[in-house]
Amino acid sequence: MSEGIDVGSPDEIEAGTARVVEPEDSGFVDPIAVFHTESGCFFALNDTCTHEEASLAEGWIEGDTVECPLHSSSFNLRTGKVLCLPATEDARTHKVAVEDGRVVLYPGVAADPARAAD
Amino acid sequence: MGGGVAAFSAASELRARGYDGALTLLSPEGAPYDRPPLSKGYLLGTEDAAKIALAAEGWYAEHEVEVVAERAVALRPAEAAVELGDGTLLRADRVLLATGARPRPLAIPGGEAAYTLRDRADADALRGILVPEARVVVVGAGLIGTEVASAAVSFGAQVTLVDPVDPPLVPAVGEALARRLHAMHAEHGVRSIASVPLGISASGDGSHVVRLADGSALEADAIVAGIGIVPASRLAAEAGIEVDDGVLVDASGATTNPAVFAAGDVSRLRKPDGILARRAEHWEAAVRSGQAAAASMLGQAPPETGAPWFWSDRYGVHVEAVGTLDGRAGGSTVLREVDGVPQAAFLLADDGHLLGAAAVDLPLLIRAARRIMDRGLTPDRAALADPAVPARRLLP
Ligand SMILES: Cc1cc2nc3c(=O)[nH]c(=O)nc-3n(C[C@H](O)[C@H](O)[C@H](O)COP(=O)(O)OP(=O)(O)OC[C@H]3O[C@@H](n4cnc5c(N)ncnc54)[C@H](O)[C@@H]3O)c2cc1C
Repeated sequence: MSEGIDVGSPDEIEAGTARVVEPEDSGFVDPIAVFHTESGCFFALNDTCTHEEASLAEGWIEGDTVECPLHSSSFNLRTGKVLCLPATEDARTHKVAVEDGRVVLYPGVAADPARAAD
Repeated sequence: MGGGVAAFSAASELRARGYDGALTLLSPEGAPYDRPPLSKGYLLGTEDAAKIALAAEGWYAEHEVEVVAERAVALRPAEAAVELGDGTLLRADRVLLATGARPRPLAIPGGEAAYTLRDRADADALRGILVPEARVVVVGAGLIGTEVASAAVSFGAQVTLVDPVDPPLVPAVGEALARRLHAMHAEHGVRSIASVPLGISASGDGSHVVRLADGSALEADAIVAGIGIVPASRLAAEAGIEVDDGVLVDASGATTNPAVFAAGDVSRLRKPDGILARRAEHWEAAVRSGQAAAASMLGQAPPETGAPWFWSDRYGVHVEAVGTLDGRAGGSTVLREVDGVPQAAFLLADDGHLLGAAAVDLPLLIRAARRIMDRGLTPDRAALADPAVPARRLLP
């Protein structure tokens, strides 16, 4: 699963929003949300909140965090760490890189928390 | 003291703030679990007991929090201790009262026949009675009554909802959304009656008759009451701590006894001007007050808390509100509508500040509204009303 997937060009995902990559396109079991932060970084997490059925891509993206649209648990986009209840489990991260002007997602490959694609 | 979200949040905040002394969680039902799912996923059977736990099993050992599945029977602040049922004294330099609340009993003749919903065991009992074709009368159309009615119809029960206020929830979500939400009962086959029950009598076959003030009578296989809560403040009162429909606290959770703090549904805020606030009775308020109490138990400044927020899920829609939509004290309402159907409501003060917002299935609007309120911004009315303006664009 180390094969990268082209998610689009950086400006196709508006800053402050996210795009969901479905399992049929990624080959990964769960949908993956690729986030584009206001500061221009890209991150990817499993899209489904670890608490209940909600799409994190539809959440509130601010700084390096996303707040779930259902019950407001927040997750760190770099590390997947859950920052507040009601969720209790971290979100799984995936590596994203901007390569040759394309946003490339590596489904199933954990992100390196020290670096962000920008 | 307590195994709810207030006590759990306080314990976790104490550790996060570096407290490394002994920490005991007196939680009669064992490992803390979350209550909102009890009228939603847990009641519907889509979430089990493990799913609603507030922390993974290993969390308590990892954070050196000892969970003692016992009930306190007395607070002994003078001896720096809490007394358990068997007479054991648990020594404690600081005690947090987070004993929550009990459902308000239905105080009418025969009212003890009504089920209530607060604990996991209550939800388990309800799952036994909300069955296909059962005639269910729900008394109280607040958040819990409404969610129980919604779950009951989804199980195929015949549900009647009784509440004198038509529509309920106006102060929390405003008139327009309250009407829209109330109309959903009829749309989903729940009959609603604007009245109050006067008495319940048993019919021989195990069913009941509920007599209403409007003269009608309802036959019921089961009655569920969701008519509010009574704070579990008895131990505080007995220990001489000031109580008035809740254990009185300041914003830091301090009670009138310096060794005792209170948080969550059991507590009631006394504002700096001496005015007693309404009890919060919502999940996030319990989390935040637990965290604030943890900070002040350590002599640290509690974090700022923003406007109160809650959600409710019923009939497949997700309702959220922040602040107040109660326009009786002033302000004007702005509605966001699509094809004449209200999606969101905003209450603005005369000086343009946002006092509150509520929305159905538009959670990002509420996230925007919270930030507008926390930052003291004055939003553009036209933008609030315009469904084409995305939530993010409401902030500079
Ligand atoms: C069915 C249901 C659905 C809800 N849905 C929502 C919702 O959708 N949104 C929302 O915002 N809020 C909701 N709420 C409200 C929210 O759950 C409460 O505000 C919150 O649980 C309060 O937490 P707490 O810790 O203060 O009290 P509780 O959760 O009541 O916990 C109190 C704890 O204290 C323990 N205790 C009591 N007496 C003693 C004693 N003498 N010694 C030791 N321990 C004791 C109890 O066993 C319990 O563990 C809902 C509540 C219920 C019941």
